[in-house]
Amino acid sequence: MATTTAAVTLTSDLLSDNISVTTDTTCMKGGTTADGLDQMDMGYIEIATGTNFDLLDSNNSGLNNNKANKVYISNESTDETYYAEITIDATVIGRLYAGDWMFIPWGAEDATADIEIRAYGGTNKITYAYFHEGRTLVSA
Amino acid sequence: MATTATVNLTSDISPGFGGISKTMTLTKAGTNNDITETTGFSRRKLAATTAVDLITMANELVEPSDNTAAKVYVKNIGNNGVIDKSRYVTISVGNTGGTTQEIGRLYGGDWLFMPVTVVDDMDIVATPETDDVVVLEYTMFFEEA
Repeated sequence: MATTTAAVTLTSDLLSDNISVTTDTTCMKGGTTADGLDQMDMGYIEIATGTNFDLLDSNNSGLNNNKANKVYISNESTDETYYAEITIDATVIGRLYAGDWMFIPWGAEDATADIEIRAYGGTNKITYAYFHEGRTLVSA
Repeated sequence: MATTATVNLTSDISPGFGGISKTMTLTKAGTNNDITETTGFSRRKLAATTAVDLITMANELVEPSDNTAAKVYVKNIGNNGVIDKSRYVTISVGNTGGTTQEIGRLYGGDWLFMPVTVVDDMDIVATPETDDVVVLEYTMFFEEA
């Protein structure tokens, strides 16, 4: 079984009793307890301002629809005023400012549930990793 | 007053993948100033397939500043120490009385950390797959309007 683990450590002193959370999970295929995600894509791209781009396409014949996909996106930009707006199916989820990262399960519930990204402030540098159990390759 | 989040991803799917490790300090939008507000750490027990708000943006006692640098953490911790990795809770953003947009399925033991707009009616919504008891832990960091 392929093994993919995702760990997070979260600390904050905003409260008088500090928050400190450390946890990890092994990323399994949807609905299984013994079969791990076994395919992945990873990339580093520069995104110019002015256009909303598809970062990950949900429309791939159902191979990734309603599964346990995991997506990591990091904004590697260094100018703190730069940010990337993350959208799923035309709904704005939030902003990843320079230095921010996110890690989510991605339902890819239908053909329009793409993960989209748009840069603001200047050309944003983005790292992404997509762990899944299959996607349709485009015929040559 | 700093809040930090560190992610570590490991995988043997591809021999060339060396893993990912990244730490960020949560800051206010467009600045290097630390983020200052949090909902605190909470947990909620769910026992029905009904969609519920984990975080209702319009009800926050400290009004969040819309479309800034807010982040949300959610983890599915199962129930009484029993984690079923084959069962999930769908996490969405939106209004349970209106339109929601699915983020994805949070299976037992899984967690997420993501930016949110904190706009009213863009609540964090949880919908369990089954009526078996499941507990979610969550917190949100944001800046005051």
